[in-house]
Amino acid sequence: MFDLISEMFNYAFMRRAFVVTTILSASVAPVGAFLVLRRLSLAGEAMAHAITPGVVIGFVTAGLSVMSLLFGGLIAGLGVAVLTAYLARNTILRSDASLASLYLIALAIGIFILSAAGSAVPLKSFLFGSILGVDDASMILVSGVATVTLVTFALILRPLIMSTCDPVFFESQVKRPWIVDQGFMFLLVLNLLAAFKTLGTLMAVGLMILPATAARYWSGTITAQLGLGFIFSLLSCWLGLTLSYILPETPSGPAIVLVAGAIFVLSALFGPLGLRGQFSATTKS
Amino acid sequence: MAVVGANGSGKSTFVKTLLGLKSPMNGRIEWPIGKPAEIGYLAQLTEFDRRFPIRVRDLAAMGAWQGFNPFAGLNKTTRNRVDAALEMAGILELADHPLHTLSGGQLQRALFSRVIMQDAPLILLDEPFSAVDQYTEQHLLSVIETWQSEGRAVIMVLHDLSAVLDHCTHALLLGNGRASFGTVNDILTPDRLVAQGYMSSSQASWMFRGQPNGGAC
Repeated sequence: MFDLISEMFNYAFMRRAFVVTTILSASVAPVGAFLVLRRLSLAGEAMAHAITPGVVIGFVTAGLSVMSLLFGGLIAGLGVAVLTAYLARNTILRSDASLASLYLIALAIGIFILSAAGSAVPLKSFLFGSILGVDDASMILVSGVATVTLVTFALILRPLIMSTCDPVFFESQVKRPWIVDQGFMFLLVLNLLAAFKTLGTLMAVGLMILPATAARYWSGTITAQLGLGFIFSLLSCWLGLTLSYILPETPSGPAIVLVAGAIFVLSALFGPLGLRGQFSATTKS
Repeated sequence: MAVVGANGSGKSTFVKTLLGLKSPMNGRIEWPIGKPAEIGYLAQLTEFDRRFPIRVRDLAAMGAWQGFNPFAGLNKTTRNRVDAALEMAGILELADHPLHTLSGGQLQRALFSRVIMQDAPLILLDEPFSAVDQYTEQHLLSVIETWQSEGRAVIMVLHDLSAVLDHCTHALLLGNGRASFGTVNDILTPDRLVAQGYMSSSQASWMFRGQPNGGAC
């Protein structure tokens, strides 16, 4: 077993995979925690799909580079986020229904263009990522996104907590409350793009949501939620990568999310706010 | 001052417009002595997410968040003020409990301590007693009386007319597209309350029975 693990670190691509997922964990964990707390868990998944046309158009027009991925994805993701907020504010549809409508359109456009352009990138790596082929450019992308994310969180943490906990009160306190909302959506799209290359569209959100929901079963304060979420997400990456190394032919993205899923199930069963905890017995409002 | 009126008459809208959460459909708000830098605000309890992972003392501290250093913890003065605010609202012993363990009345006390932390000259309360028991209501009314004695202006949306008569000097009655404002005794008359759709004439004559102007409608 030890031999197997030391052998694993002899490979440069495995070392890279460990480094890149460690940085990714630090970045996506707080984003995931606030997605869950802001009741946007499903919106995260939707946004992952919404960035597809931008990524595809970037790929078709400018080739498979980090920059085309970043700009295409940002434009598509923020476009969908802004339009969703606009529809929710000015029409009868709430934001969930507006987002669902827009991301489905975006996803269809993305797949349509990808097929029409006769893509050279196999759909499978698009959906599940290719964590074992991480190049320098992707490492720089992930590190850059992590830096921007953590610095932004440090700056807006208190306003973000307030706008999440009590949006009505927060709106009464500041002149432009939407800056915090849209700023968070910007971080979400950035982190989806960072996770996109390594984990793929389908698995990217898994590393955000599952560690955060699992951490929620253990934590009564937001500080504990953020810290534990990071530990769970790190654990998922490391164990998942090892698992996919030991069992040949298993893709790393699903392996990582499966480990996160196992942590979630254990937390739901044994966490103090889970199935057997005080929450189920007392307060159910 | 109390804001009174039937459901849908625009009481919450009035409060939210004062706060700047909604803009007036026409006309504008004039502040004769200038708009206060801080307006204390408590929304209806239904608009609050009780599962958010935060302790009671952190919720209270939010009232004063604008003075905080974004990269440091709270200083001693602020921590003492939080304790004093929780004490005043009567939930100091629950300071370290997470919100989801609180009852409706305890949560309302926690939100009151946040208003205390805001330390504002004008305080707006939207149906502060709709979800609390009599005992809590009495305690919170005593907090409001303290605010009034400190010279703060309190505007609250209320449904309980006896609380209005006991604790407010002025009333704004909204309903049937009209607004009337004056002292409590001038505004809360049976014929006005009926004319602005707050109650039926039979309810009014029951409520104001035995009073000189009662039963007139």
